[in-house]
Amino acid sequence: MKVLLVEDNERVTQFVVKGLQEAGHTADHAANGRDGMFLAASEPYDVIIMDRMLPGEIDGLAIIEALRKSGKRTPILILSALSEVDERIRGLRAGGDDYLTKPFAFGELLARIDALTRRAQGENAQTKLEVADLRVDLLTRKVTRGDRSLTLQPREFKLLEYLMRHADQVVTRTMLLENVWDYHFDPQTNVVDVHISKLRQKIDADFERPLLRTVRNAGYTLTSHD
Amino acid sequence: MKFLRSSALTLAVGYIGLGLAALGLFAAPLWYAWRVTIQEGRNEILQSDALRLTEVFRREGAHGLVSYINTRVGMQIAGERQLLLADPALNVMAGNLAAWPATVPADPGTYTVKLDLGNGITDVAVVHATLPGGYHLLVGRDTARYAPLERRFWYALAGAVAILSVLGTVGGILIRRALMARIDGIRRTVSAIIQGDLSHRLPTHQSGDELNTLSQTINGMLDQIEQLIHGIRNVSNSIAHDLRTPLAELRSRLEELALTRPSTEQTFAEIDAAVADVDRVIRIFNALLRLSEIDSGLRRSGFVPVDLAAVAAAAVDFYQPAAELRGSSLTLESSGPAPIRGDPVLLAQALGNLIDNAVKYTPDQGTIAVAVRRGADAGSVEIVVADSGPGIPENEKPKAVERFYRGDASRCTPGVGLGLSLVDAVARLHGSELRLEDNHPGLRARIVLTQDTPQVTRAARANSEQGGFQHEPVYP
Repeated sequence: MKVLLVEDNERVTQFVVKGLQEAGHTADHAANGRDGMFLAASEPYDVIIMDRMLPGEIDGLAIIEALRKSGKRTPILILSALSEVDERIRGLRAGGDDYLTKPFAFGELLARIDALTRRAQGENAQTKLEVADLRVDLLTRKVTRGDRSLTLQPREFKLLEYLMRHADQVVTRTMLLENVWDYHFDPQTNVVDVHISKLRQKIDADFERPLLRTVRNAGYTLTSHD
Repeated sequence: MKFLRSSALTLAVGYIGLGLAALGLFAAPLWYAWRVTIQEGRNEILQSDALRLTEVFRREGAHGLVSYINTRVGMQIAGERQLLLADPALNVMAGNLAAWPATVPADPGTYTVKLDLGNGITDVAVVHATLPGGYHLLVGRDTARYAPLERRFWYALAGAVAILSVLGTVGGILIRRALMARIDGIRRTVSAIIQGDLSHRLPTHQSGDELNTLSQTINGMLDQIEQLIHGIRNVSNSIAHDLRTPLAELRSRLEELALTRPSTEQTFAEIDAAVADVDRVIRIFNALLRLSEIDSGLRRSGFVPVDLAAVAAAAVDFYQPAAELRGSSLTLESSGPAPIRGDPVLLAQALGNLIDNAVKYTPDQGTIAVAVRRGADAGSVEIVVADSGPGIPENEKPKAVERFYRGDASRCTPGVGLGLSLVDAVARLHGSELRLEDNHPGLRARIVLTQDTPQVTRAARANSEQGGFQHEPVYP
């Protein structure tokens, strides 16, 4: 995956570029708005990570707006120290696809850009999701593993659906909070973990191979691979 | 020079000027009316006198008139009345003037002319009448006898002007003195406050004059500012204290790591712990930023119609597993939709914090009851989160919503001590407040929200009605 990072802070740049390379991605970097604009407009990227406050005349939001106006649909993740809800909304309105506040954990960033690129490859009109022998029918809302039918609460179903749609990817607790519960705040306690362990009880407890796994320092992943 | 610039002088000069103008406006018509009345009266007397003499002439002829005039002149007090009868050639026949005065016009009528009456030339009002046979009759009166009266009028007027000016000036100086004394008091207090001592207050007294009212208002403002500054000082101290703990841990952890250089595995474990420490600091910062964001009141522009019952249902649903884990029951009581105007994100967070607190502080197998009801007032909605935990002692309740407050009961539970202050801030943003009541046993947290928040400006409302952007999901 080819990633463009537009960010003026050297330390953050080093940290992100190194992390992306270790995760097997190619990363280009621009340290100011003008270079960022030029690279974003001329090179094909799978995802762009954009800082909001940049040196030079052009700030992150202006670049995003210009790209969107010129018809570029590359997924963009906004990275910013501006954490207010309204700032977040401004970022998303300008054409950003996701918003991550500094300081951030690299795991969170990686999980989010994975989710963005996956979505760009086609938010499908799938009605059936499948991971190993776990199957979810979105129309009948039936969940089966192997030949056993599982009974899930509506919230558990929504949680599982999100995990299935992002199978083999890491999803963080914040991503789950935002997308499953639509909660854009820190609920202080580890309620998400409790939900996950309840779901795990239902889909994994009686089976030999666990599918829902905890990823240390990042979140969870639903995968059939080892 | 200072006096010239003072507003008291302007005031005094203004009042003196106004007084003089009023005096002038009062005196001028009086003067005019007086002049006219006197002149007319005098002329009337002269004319009727002339008429009477003419009557005598008609009845008794020229000789009769001559003797009549002579009699009159003989009886008259000197100089009071001028009488003169002349033949057609203007030769004096009788009267108290030596010759027919040349200054009197030839045509009959009433005039004021200059005559020499023996003691200099004076203004004399005369009636010149022609009698049958071409005789001329002159009846006159010296106007100089009114001059002293006129003079006295002008003297009195000048005296009034002088008194007014003096009184005005003295009054102005006195007012300025009194005013400057009080303004000086205010200025001294304000200077002391500028120096940093916020405990000073403007001097006030019993009288309810404008300056006193102003001083009281300013004192009220100072109270508010002092309270805010005090609050900020407290918060900064608390922040410093609460951040120091994780930072100190982090520091010692890293220092120890650098010193001992333990095995790789242990190093990684230590690094993970260090990251967790940093995350704690970040959490506190985020919570504080959120609080200041709410306190600034800016979020009110994002108010949209919200169904509190739905928000509560989602929150209860979210925290249900956490309650189950502790064997506590978490129930929701609601009677249909409860629509209000508000910020759905913040309301969800506030309700989440209340339930989270209840779950955390209620011992295992406790009961937590969330209720959303219509309030007593029309259109109001009441949210209650009641638990069977230890509650908050009566004397600690006011402190419970303060930032970084942590009750004795919560010392050993995770959290940063900002939960209830956030709930209170959200409630205040929605024109309400968080009330903490006793649940016998346990805590009852209650918020009453109204459907229509009066503080919402019309512009903000129009803005939010164009589309409640809070509902925009991050991922479509």
